[in-house]
Amino acid sequence: MQAINARNLTKTYRTRVKSEGLGASFRALAKPEYKEVEAVKQVDLSVEQGEILAFIGPNGAGKSTFIKMLCGILHPSGGAVSVLGLSPVNERRKLALRIGTVFGQKSQLWLHLPPLDSFTLLAAIYEIGEAERKRRVDELSELFALGDFLRTPVRKLSLGQRVRCEVAASLLHEPELLFLDEPTIGLDVVVKQAIRELILRRNRERGTTVFLTSHDPADIEHLCQRAVVIDHGALVLDSPVDKLKSDNPGTSMENIIAAIFQQETGRPLEAASDDTPVEEAPV
Amino acid sequence: MKKHLRIFACYFRLNLASALEYRASFISQAFGMALSNSTFLFFWWIAFQQIGGAIAGYTYKDVLFIWAVASSAYGLSHVLFANAANLTGLIVTGELDAFLLQPCCVLVNVLCARTILSAYGDLFYGFAVMLIFFAGEPAAWLWFLYGALTGGVLITAINLAAHTLSFYWGDASAMGRMALEFTINFSVYPDKIYAPAVRALMYSVIPAGIAVHVPLRLFQAFSPGLALAALGGAAAYCAAAGFFFYRGLRRYESGNVIVTRL
Repeated sequence: MQAINARNLTKTYRTRVKSEGLGASFRALAKPEYKEVEAVKQVDLSVEQGEILAFIGPNGAGKSTFIKMLCGILHPSGGAVSVLGLSPVNERRKLALRIGTVFGQKSQLWLHLPPLDSFTLLAAIYEIGEAERKRRVDELSELFALGDFLRTPVRKLSLGQRVRCEVAASLLHEPELLFLDEPTIGLDVVVKQAIRELILRRNRERGTTVFLTSHDPADIEHLCQRAVVIDHGALVLDSPVDKLKSDNPGTSMENIIAAIFQQETGRPLEAASDDTPVEEAPV
Repeated sequence: MKKHLRIFACYFRLNLASALEYRASFISQAFGMALSNSTFLFFWWIAFQQIGGAIAGYTYKDVLFIWAVASSAYGLSHVLFANAANLTGLIVTGELDAFLLQPCCVLVNVLCARTILSAYGDLFYGFAVMLIFFAGEPAAWLWFLYGALTGGVLITAINLAAHTLSFYWGDASAMGRMALEFTINFSVYPDKIYAPAVRALMYSVIPAGIAVHVPLRLFQAFSPGLALAALGGAAAYCAAAGFFFYRGLRRYESGNVIVTRL
C-alpha cells in the first residue's frame, strides 16, 4: 500500500521583483512588479508504506515546499496528492493524527519548560489518555535514553539531547509516517549515529514509513532504501540506494550523488545555490 | 469541544509555568502594569476634583468602572489568547507550521499558545478597582464580569482581525498595533467625548464600546434588549473575525526561519 502518492504536484508563488536602491523602492511602491516562481514543478512521486526514502537536493530546490504540501501546511497550486489515503488539504486534522514531523529548524518543545511538560501538551492535542501517555513516555524515554533530562528545561539541554527529545515528541502519538527535515543538522557524529539507529529501530519494529531530507550523505547511506533528488522543483533522480552503490563500487555516497547531480543538471551539487526565492510572504 | 477545553487548560498551565520560571520578571511586570494603570486613575481623580460633577456625562465612579472593565478585559485577552496580537509574527516567520501540523482547531491552538506576563497585572487590577470602589454592589460586579468576559473575547477578535491582514499584505503589524491602541483609547475615556462618526466606529469596526461602555449602561439601567444585542453583536464580530482568519489561512505561504517555542 502506498503511503504517499503525488501526481503532477505543483506549487507556484507570486513574488515581488524590485531593483536595487531607494529609487527602485519608490517606483515599486507606485507600480509593483511581480513574477511567478514554480517552487515545485509537476512532481510525480510514490512512497510505499514501511519505506525509508531520502529526499535530497541543494538549498532552495523545493524540498521543504514539497514536504509542506504533503503535510497540509501549504495548498498545492496544481496536481493531486494523497498521504495515507487522505487529502492533506481537505483532511488536515485526520492526517495530522497519523503523521509525525521533525523540522530541524523548528522546535515543538517549549524552551523554558522540561520536555515532559511539552509531552503533556502533545498528549492533549493528540487525544492520548493519561495512563497511555505515561506508558508511551516511559517507552520513548527508555528507547531514546531520555531519563536524565526529561525534567530539565529544554534551554539547558545540549543540541543532541534536544533533538532526541524532538524525535521522541514526534513519535508520542505513534505515527505511521514520519517526516524528518534535516533532523541531524548541527549534531556531532556520535549523536547523528544514535539518532539514525533510533529511526531504523522504529521503522523495523513498527513499520513506520520515513520521509527524510538531509544534506548528510551518511544519513542516506545508513538509513535509506531509496534516494530521490530534486533540483529547481523537478525530480532529477529516483533510485534504490543499493543500486547506486552497486553501480558505483568503491565510491562514497556523497560522490555518487554529486556525480549524478552534475550529470543531470550540468552543475556541481555544491554550486547549486539558492537562486530560487521560494516561500516568500504573500505580496 | 471537550478536547479543545483540555488543550486550552493545558496551554494555560504551561504558559503560567513558563512565566513562573522567571519569578522576578513575572512579579515586576505584573505589578508594574497595575501601578501604571493606577497613575491614570489618579490623573482622572485630579481632573474630577478640578472640574467637579461629570465629564461628558461620566462621573468619577463611572470612569473607575470602565477602567476596571477595560483593564480586566485587556488582561484576560492577553493572558489567555496573547498570540492574537502576535499573529503577524507567526505568519511572516512561518511559525504557523507547527500549529497546522497538529490535529486540532488551528485557531484555538494558535490563540492559546502564548501569554503576556504584564497582562496578569491588568487582569488583577480590574478586580482590585472593583474590590476597593464597588465592594458592596452586586450589580456592579455582575456587569463588570459580563464586560470583562465579552470584552476579553472582543479584544482578542479585534487583534485577530487586524493581524489576519498579514495573510494579504505581508506585514500588518502596524495595523494590529493601531487597532489595539484605538481599542484602548475607546475603552478608557467617556464615549461621548468622541464625534458621532468615531462613536459609530466604536460600536462596529473596533467594538470597544460593546466591550466597556455597554456594561456601564447596563449597570446604570438594566435593559435585557441591550444586553442581548451586545452579546449578539460580540458573537457576530467574533464569528466574522474567525471566518476572515480561515479565508486568509488559505494564502499562508510558510517560511524557513529558525524557531523555538517560548
